[in-house]
Amino acid sequence: MTMTQNRTGGQSAAPGGAGAPVVLATYGLTKSFGGTLAVDHLDLTVRRGDVFGFLGPNGAGKTTTIRMIVGLIYPTSGYAVVLDHQVPRDKIEALRHIGGFVEVPAFYANMSARRNLRLMGSLNASVDESRIEEVLDVVGLRERADSKVGDYSHGMKQRLGIANALINKPELVILDEPTSGLDPQGMKDVRELVRELGTGGTTVFLSSHLLHEVEQVCNRAAILNKGRVVVEGPVSELHPEHSSVKLLTSDQDRARQIVAALVGAQHVELDEEYLIVEASDGTVREMVRALVAENVGVDAVIPAREQGLEDYFLGLTQSSDVDMGGDAGVAGGAR
Amino acid sequence: MMLLRREMTKLFAQKRSYVGWGGLLAVPLLMTLALYLNRNNHHHDNGPGGVISLALHNGLLMPVAAITLLSAFLLPLLASMVGSYQLAGEAETGTIKTWLMHSISRGGVLASKWGIAVIYVTIGLAVVAAGALLAGGLAFGLHAPTLLSGQTVSVAHGLWLSLLGYLYVLAGVICVLSLALLFATFTNSSLTAAIGALVVVIVMNIIGAFSYFDFLKPYLFTSHIDAWQNLLSQPIDWHPIVTGIIAFAIYIAALMAVAWYVFRRKDILV
Repeated sequence: MTMTQNRTGGQSAAPGGAGAPVVLATYGLTKSFGGTLAVDHLDLTVRRGDVFGFLGPNGAGKTTTIRMIVGLIYPTSGYAVVLDHQVPRDKIEALRHIGGFVEVPAFYANMSARRNLRLMGSLNASVDESRIEEVLDVVGLRERADSKVGDYSHGMKQRLGIANALINKPELVILDEPTSGLDPQGMKDVRELVRELGTGGTTVFLSSHLLHEVEQVCNRAAILNKGRVVVEGPVSELHPEHSSVKLLTSDQDRARQIVAALVGAQHVELDEEYLIVEASDGTVREMVRALVAENVGVDAVIPAREQGLEDYFLGLTQSSDVDMGGDAGVAGGAR
Repeated sequence: MMLLRREMTKLFAQKRSYVGWGGLLAVPLLMTLALYLNRNNHHHDNGPGGVISLALHNGLLMPVAAITLLSAFLLPLLASMVGSYQLAGEAETGTIKTWLMHSISRGGVLASKWGIAVIYVTIGLAVVAAGALLAGGLAFGLHAPTLLSGQTVSVAHGLWLSLLGYLYVLAGVICVLSLALLFATFTNSSLTAAIGALVVVIVMNIIGAFSYFDFLKPYLFTSHIDAWQNLLSQPIDWHPIVTGIIAFAIYIAALMAVAWYVFRRKDILV
């Protein structure tokens, strides 16, 4: 929760502000594979400085969308625009401004990391050795930079993928599930790195199936399900209308009365030993003050929002399952 | 050209490249060794005749002798492997998507893949020629060569004719690698593409072996491959050589045109 506040706090003046130039946009982007729509008329807008979360369950069409944006596959209809360059028509120009990877970053296994970076980095522009050292430092691979990539662990390849994405200082960095398969420390490092990129003004397009990840690092997000955008907007607005806290006090019954007086009885309920209170951040402080004033000892105030968001996410992606047709109900019942 | 240099970096970083060249080098060395050890009883040896028997007493003709053995199988094999690996091999490792996510054109990538495969087989042929000259020279010495038609020409002229022969065979081999590269645009398995190209070459050879199919022969590139041997008879009959070159050129152009058409709009899903 604090992370979210840092993020939105730091960028709230212009979270990719509405006036910022558009770095990436898609217009009716559609891809069908043998009659099955993988991506269905996708319209997205990503502005300069956005860390844009592209969120959806596995198989939602995230990777297919990214492949179309970088010109690896051709849309059935629609197109993307990267800094005024239309993809696929002007993809060579567009790709000059993009760094990133799709699915698992792939490198030449029989070459060292440094050599891979030199080889790939020189495809878009000239790249000097100091820049290679710089990106190796950023992802913490400097000590292993002369080992063959074939000997790298999954996590190291993932880091190298990020280094390679950054090498030409692109305006748009596209990372496809960059934390997948990483250990907790690796995840933390990568998320911090992405946040820093955003702070530094680089536009990041990050796909993820982890809601809390997007919440931690992104300022804007779109939720994708079955190839369609279900919700798009600032991450803070993706939240359910009220966030909630779990409250543990020395006297839950009295606490319930006191809190109900503050936020309304319909916003308080008892769940096992915790009181669940739907409240905005400001009211939490007031609530605790009131409890202490009434001599109720406050043992714990726990943000319950993450769980709430997971439910929200599931609700969004599942309700559109139901929209898909009559037999969705049968499938649900069979489950 | 920039892309071709990058491809060279990759080619020289691969062990498999050296294995292929090493295999090619082994052929002239083994052949020279066999001919050398057998040099005294070749009268009742009814094995390799023609060009190879010319090399029996003259190392200068060892390169052309080696190429007659190689052009039938090992060269097409290596050409289909290198041709298919350039695209499909990179699809197998996933590096093709990393590569294509840069500001480069698909046509340029395909051209550089073709170029590097040509460079690979050219180096391979150079290795064979150098190995054959060295081993043949050590075993039999380098003398003014006697041609198939019986005349003896100067050492320089002998080398010149050998070079022309090699260039001709190179053109034929480029047909094979172009075929493999085309197949590699259809499949993401380098083995499938390589075997596909080899199967076509073998089927063409089989068709060429039956006189019933003689009417097809001018249209198969494989039936032109041995035409370079006309260079070893004086006066040289240029007609089959020129016909062969034209056939190769048409094949290469057509194969690469189709490969470009397929690869240009291919969905990279690896």
